[in-house]
Amino acid sequence: MGEATRNWQHDLKIFRERMGGLTEQKKTMAKEQRDATRALEKALKAGPRTVPQLAAETGIPAAKVFWFLMALRKYGKVAEAGRIGDYYLYRWKEVSS
Amino acid sequence: MAKIEHQYDGVVVGAGIAGMQAALDLAGQGFHVLLVEREPSIGGVMVGLNKVFPTLDCSSCICTPRMAEVAHHELITLLTYTELKQIERNGEGFTVTLIKKPRYVVDEDCIGCSKCELACQPLAPHEFDQGLGARAAIYIPHGNAIPQVAVLDPNYCIFDGNCAKVCPTNCIDFTQQPEEIKIEAGAVILATGLKTTPMNAKKEYGGGRFINVMHPLAMERVQSSNGPYGHILRPSDGKIPRSVAYVQCAGSRDKSIGIPYCSRVCCMYALKQGVMIKHELQETDVTIYYMDIRAFGKGYEQFYRRALAEGVRVVKAKVARITEVENNDLELRVELIDEGGRVADIRHDLVVLSLGLVPGWRPDGSALVSTDDDGFLSVRDIATRPARSSVEGIFVAGVATGPKDIPDAIVEAGAAAMEAAMYLDRTRGPRAIPVGASIEA
Repeated sequence: MGEATRNWQHDLKIFRERMGGLTEQKKTMAKEQRDATRALEKALKAGPRTVPQLAAETGIPAAKVFWFLMALRKYGKVAEAGRIGDYYLYRWKEVSS
Repeated sequence: MAKIEHQYDGVVVGAGIAGMQAALDLAGQGFHVLLVEREPSIGGVMVGLNKVFPTLDCSSCICTPRMAEVAHHELITLLTYTELKQIERNGEGFTVTLIKKPRYVVDEDCIGCSKCELACQPLAPHEFDQGLGARAAIYIPHGNAIPQVAVLDPNYCIFDGNCAKVCPTNCIDFTQQPEEIKIEAGAVILATGLKTTPMNAKKEYGGGRFINVMHPLAMERVQSSNGPYGHILRPSDGKIPRSVAYVQCAGSRDKSIGIPYCSRVCCMYALKQGVMIKHELQETDVTIYYMDIRAFGKGYEQFYRRALAEGVRVVKAKVARITEVENNDLELRVELIDEGGRVADIRHDLVVLSLGLVPGWRPDGSALVSTDDDGFLSVRDIATRPARSSVEGIFVAGVATGPKDIPDAIVEAGAAAMEAAMYLDRTRGPRAIPVGASIEA
């Protein structure tokens, strides 16, 4: 199919129906991810933090903090900022527009 | 991407290192080859490894040129994200039925710009990083992926259309469905690769529940420069591990989990990973608990000696169980063989289970070929014809027939390609080499 003939808005509706719609599980997942990244963003904008520091500050388990942090790092929003003992420090990197 | 045709001289199933080599060697003799891969990218397990033993060469530096060569070879057609459904006899050749899975992205139109991935909010565990890293619901499989074409995972899609809104080529196609493709081929090479024994196979090692008990392929990703963390860190809290243990034969030589055989590569990958840890973290203690060290290949014994010299500690011991203690540290109950069987509880920050190899695919009656008791594909004569399957015209390469290391898989792939070429010549009569065909020296 060539690009000129593709109507993605129309196709998306059909795709959504075929895949069972936006389930509660997906809604919960998306909300949890949004909340976690916002909490990490807020904490990191106050200054560089380690994973245990972020876990203590946000109340999110350390393993989840680390996973989200590495996702934010991959997508260019977080960078390393030195080390304290056996833990790396991370800082918020995104330039606000 | 080349158009899929109805007929090929050879179909190679599996585009890991063995399948790619077999395709290149067959195409190098002037045959048209269809190379089929079930994952969204070719490269198999090898493209995700950090280094290879015993040379410590960069694994992707060896693998990616072959991937590029396969992709650009004029006699090889690639078909990714496609499963083998059935192989049926058709005269001297075969009819191969394939199922092309929907990417929800038009291969020919995607330019691999990643704009869709950057616009997509939901995060999912990234398969390429063994779940340690994240990816978006729509994503390019990895940086070295071939083809560089996005794939949409409907399990994580929240239907916001952000991917389609930002796509500069309008290549998102939500209408795609699985597509059945039938191919006629003169010969087939099965290079269907490996899986590891599951992390939860041994309940006494935590059954996959302890976050700092790691999969060996996860450790490969952690050690890779393009891995999920950028450093060797443990998953529970991002701490630099100061004490790492390897538990050997954690999924091999163990009748209790139905894997009585030796997987042949675990000793060497544990030693290699141990050396890489010592290179990055000189102060970190690395202990390998082993039954026997099997360093049988060319240069492997020397590599074992090198690992010892670089500070990797090997302890002849049987690990009875692993317990998670505070801070997600691990306590190993070990029987120290060289100390008269003394039992000790030893604490580590991180543990890697040296899992064994099992078949990456089982035919289950779909492909004419038979398997051995261990589930690997049978060969007709292991001593003299290791690349011939139980069926005339179907050849086998790599770990599809049993655990083996990369050099052995590559050698076997060459043998399978040569066997397939001879079969094609025998069944179709001598070839007229096409004018201008590229015959590799």
